[in-house]
Amino acid sequence: MEHEMKFPPPAIPGYDNKFVLWVSVILIIVVLYSTYLHHFRPQILRVPSNTDVSTWTNPKFEETCVYDRMSDAERAKVRAEGVPGNTLGDILFLDISSILVALLCFFHARKHYGKWMAFCFLIGSFVFTGLQESMWILYGRFTGTSAMVGLGEQVYGTYWFTKGGLWFFETPVSMCLGWFYVAYGCVWMASKALPKSGLVKRAVLGGLLAMTVDLWMDPVATSPELMSWVWATGDIIRIFGIPQTNFLGWFLLIFVFAILWETLPLWEKRLGRAKATGYFFIVVIAADLAVLAFQYPWCRALRGILVAMGFQHGLQIPPGW
Amino acid sequence: MKSWRRFWRNRIEFYPAFSIFIWYAVGSVLSSLRVQNRPGIVTLGLITIPVVVVFIIAVRRAWRELPAGS
Repeated sequence: MEHEMKFPPPAIPGYDNKFVLWVSVILIIVVLYSTYLHHFRPQILRVPSNTDVSTWTNPKFEETCVYDRMSDAERAKVRAEGVPGNTLGDILFLDISSILVALLCFFHARKHYGKWMAFCFLIGSFVFTGLQESMWILYGRFTGTSAMVGLGEQVYGTYWFTKGGLWFFETPVSMCLGWFYVAYGCVWMASKALPKSGLVKRAVLGGLLAMTVDLWMDPVATSPELMSWVWATGDIIRIFGIPQTNFLGWFLLIFVFAILWETLPLWEKRLGRAKATGYFFIVVIAADLAVLAFQYPWCRALRGILVAMGFQHGLQIPPGW
Repeated sequence: MKSWRRFWRNRIEFYPAFSIFIWYAVGSVLSSLRVQNRPGIVTLGLITIPVVVVFIIAVRRAWRELPAGS
């Protein structure tokens, strides 16, 4: 990161402190309100019950990827006991540990890039991923459809998270912070591994690293024993039981965000700090929508290729997952 | 001992590596041990070996780039 960004912007204490204060206040209000809605008014956002899976709609329990991966005994257990590992201790551990690890990355970013850049990464990535995930989740939940196009099976929605103490819309704060430190760590690794490469190459490597780490994390987190998040069936390609749109999303989000964040000092030079900050957040939200929209032609093109190759059902790699 | 002291004094430089280590080692490796009835889920981790290679390269380079005498 440093090699491309030769001149980390100098601090402007008056502006930086105001920016940090106001953005923090707005974020805290949104998180507190989302948390209240999720836990105390679940009917408003139709939050699926963790204790009674028979009430699930869009998708029903029988229309989820985890259902396909379960034995009959596991299905009966989840029907009787609900989502496993959903205790207060689990949730507190998840929230507190993600806050602590995110703080470490924030300290590193502040030391190397200054308070303004570090805060733009933290809040930008938090909002970027939180909005992206929440849009997907709510779109699937309220419409029963998604970008995924089925091949030989129906699509019943997208996915949702089952565990979290604090929420940002319908995404757990632990996931937003997890995304921040994984994105920051992967972009850092890419910059160390390819110190003389340009921004795009490093962003590609950062995106690939994050996607590869997720390739292991997701099948574990969505397993019948954990069920930390739940996917609807219906994607044309499932890799280890996870729809391919998930991995595409991880790559694209980190790739795009790394480029936007590293371009921030150039925007500041041209526009000044206040305007560059506003511009950055507008572009971040626009990129969120663009990544979401990209999934539609992507899924349709992929389906077209599979149909042309003679497939009548979606691919499961490896078979049986 | 000297290396350990040098590492501790400059620990902030390794925080991003630590965060990936936590996600990878605790999130993926340890969690996969809880998945009792899915033989092969640990084997799945073999796919992620390139991440370990890049991780080691990054940490080694960060170590070499520490200021002399620190």
